[in-house]
Amino acid sequence: MATPLKRVRGLGAAHGGTETFWRQRVTAIANIPLVIFLILSIVCHIGASYAEVKAYLAQPIVAVLMLALIISSAIHMRIGLKEIIDDYVHSEGCKIVAIIATTFFAGAVAIASTLSILKIVLGS
Amino acid sequence: MVEFTLPKNSKVTKGKSWNPPAKNAEPGRWREYRLYRYDPDTGENPRVDTYWVDMSDCGPMVLDALIWIKNNIDPTLTFRRSCREGVCGSCSMNVDGTNTLACTMHAEDAKGAIAIYPLPHMPVIKDLVPDMTQFYAQHRAVEPWLKTDSPTPQKEWRQSREDREKLNGLYECIMCACCSTACPSYWWNGDRYLGPAVLLQADRWIEDSRDERTGERLDDLEDPFRLYRCHTILNCTKACPKGLNPAEAIASLKRKMVERA
Ligand code: SF4
Ligand code: SF4
Ligand code: FES
Repeated sequence: MATPLKRVRGLGAAHGGTETFWRQRVTAIANIPLVIFLILSIVCHIGASYAEVKAYLAQPIVAVLMLALIISSAIHMRIGLKEIIDDYVHSEGCKIVAIIATTFFAGAVAIASTLSILKIVLGS
Repeated sequence: MVEFTLPKNSKVTKGKSWNPPAKNAEPGRWREYRLYRYDPDTGENPRVDTYWVDMSDCGPMVLDALIWIKNNIDPTLTFRRSCREGVCGSCSMNVDGTNTLACTMHAEDAKGAIAIYPLPHMPVIKDLVPDMTQFYAQHRAVEPWLKTDSPTPQKEWRQSREDREKLNGLYECIMCACCSTACPSYWWNGDRYLGPAVLLQADRWIEDSRDERTGERLDDLEDPFRLYRCHTILNCTKACPKGLNPAEAIASLKRKMVERA
């Protein structure tokens, strides 16, 4: 029989969220030119051979931009997925499982993509 | 909590037609109203009843029609109202698909039969009366009063004209909850998310040049649920019958959070 005030105060403010909010904006801004660059890279290589694409990706500037895109979009995706979970998943158990799963997923995608670019750049 | 279907005991059934006008009635004289009815004492599911209002005998506003129905057809119809001029915030309800004040909405602005429901996603006490307990507790929780530490001046806390102007667009809020109950984030997480009305009120005290607890107030809002459930969907601003912009107030809160981070 908690009072309404006790219920809305709950466990108090978490004193957090601003950093996440800001990071989401920064990665969103970074993603605009990076995604345009990705699309242009794909369009310019329609019909190109495997070796040509590999050589293109091995150029330092291209590799740096691709790595930036991977990191920025993985962070953005992780934050976005957590927002969706916070919005729609309400049972504490499901929520924790879902958050851990999205974190692993975003991490795995980022690591696998980074490794691919590195392999191409280092030529192994 | 996200719910895409209504719980069993909230499913709306077809109600009755109270006073269908005669076949040869003067065209345009009778206006059809479909009203949500729920009586907690009967244990029955809510229903939608149909009434016809004699426009030659009734004022132009939607609230006039509700009062006319209560006086002339069905005295059990229950709704809140007080000022009948858009200053008390009592008569907020969902009219013709939009949250608004029944007393400031012209019946003429709706086409065809006018459907009226209580504010969305709130527990219903009876008919068009929602339970606002949580909403008011949230307002109380942001401590909407002047908080100072400096010695109280002999006369009054002074405020420059420019500083007073910063409260324009905030002080006019009448706490009708049209905005909060139009906000999907408030529907799904209303127990933890404060919602646009309360956040606008919080901003009103943070913006007040006389208030000395700005940082503390921001501390109490800095939370992934209390503040950051707002995703700038802007339903709130669209709904506000007073023409205020709660989404802008929330954006201003987030800017201050970033500024001090
Ligand atoms: S802008 Fe924020 S407060 Fe307004 S309706 Fe959207 S989520 Fe709700
Ligand atoms: S901001 Fe507008 S809609 Fe929201 S409570 Fe205040 S007056 Fe009502
Ligand atoms: S009766 Fe007061 S706002 Fe409508």
